[in-house]
Amino acid sequence: MHDLEVLGVICILGVTCYAMRAGGYVLAATMRDDGIAARFLRLAPGNLFIAFIVGGCLSGGPAGLVGTMVALVTMAITAREWAALGAGFAAALAASMVGL
Amino acid sequence: MTITSARLPPHAPAMTAAGFRRGLVAALPFLLSNGAAGLVMGLTYKGLGLGAAHAILFSLLVYSATAQAITLGMWAHPLPVITMVVACIATNSRYLLMGAHLRQLFGGLAPRKMLPTLFLLADASWLMTNSDADRNGPDAGYLLGSSIPMAVGWVGGTALAYAAPLAANEPLRLAAALLPTMFIATLLPSQWKTARSPWPWLTSAIAALLVARFVDPSWSMLIGGGCGTLVSMMERTDA
Repeated sequence: MHDLEVLGVICILGVTCYAMRAGGYVLAATMRDDGIAARFLRLAPGNLFIAFIVGGCLSGGPAGLVGTMVALVTMAITAREWAALGAGFAAALAASMVGL
Repeated sequence: MTITSARLPPHAPAMTAAGFRRGLVAALPFLLSNGAAGLVMGLTYKGLGLGAAHAILFSLLVYSATAQAITLGMWAHPLPVITMVVACIATNSRYLLMGAHLRQLFGGLAPRKMLPTLFLLADASWLMTNSDADRNGPDAGYLLGSSIPMAVGWVGGTALAYAAPLAANEPLRLAAALLPTMFIATLLPSQWKTARSPWPWLTSAIAALLVARFVDPSWSMLIGGGCGTLVSMMERTDA
């Protein structure tokens, strides 16, 4: 495969991905602040948090679910991110090692 | 449900050095998780016969694990460019929603500040920025600061795959796959404190589960979150 061909494809895909990142921001300039779309966007983040976590737990399998639950509970108790992440990762690793 | 990010921010949008530092420090764990994920991606590129410069450029310019993984699966001769572009649009369509939401937070800032920052927009930096905006007001410096460890980890991990004699192993795969999810999970307790009812979150979870199981995991966040938001819209009257 020619180097220039690969380089060209990488650039095209890079531009496409940036257009997706910046596109919503640019297009939203035409949106009314009190419209339905604006309201939807204001309410979206927390729900997207949950959907993101569910997707991540599914792709991570049982070990991912165990790790995420341990991280969540540790965070609720300690309010320390490093403790939550450490405990969650250790739990996921242990769950993976015992065959979960 | 009332989540703090659902209200209009009480502060004017800003892009401060303090926000940048706050975001940079908060996102440091992503050096590890994105580094591990970038390393796995780099090892895959290496196995495919892609040169180091091309692999690093791929991770730098495309900077999307899902888009890169999917286009990798399409790698053939000749390269199916149109199909790859469509796949990138489909897998990254969630960024349209995230970008539109960021406009609500940072619409008052000059585009010359925001548009370059959006180059590094990632799921986790967007989620973290929303959470920080609830606590400290909208600060695009936080978005930029939190994006940098993620990008450095991702691109650095890809480069490391070529620089070091490494092979993917179980702890590495686990760190890459799970740490982002765990990190976002640590943001939930602060969001839950102001929740009015569990129904939108339950709807999001169930819809995401169904979409991931029966449609495509890459759509679970967008569709699941969208369904939950519709339920939020039905029960809220203060927006």
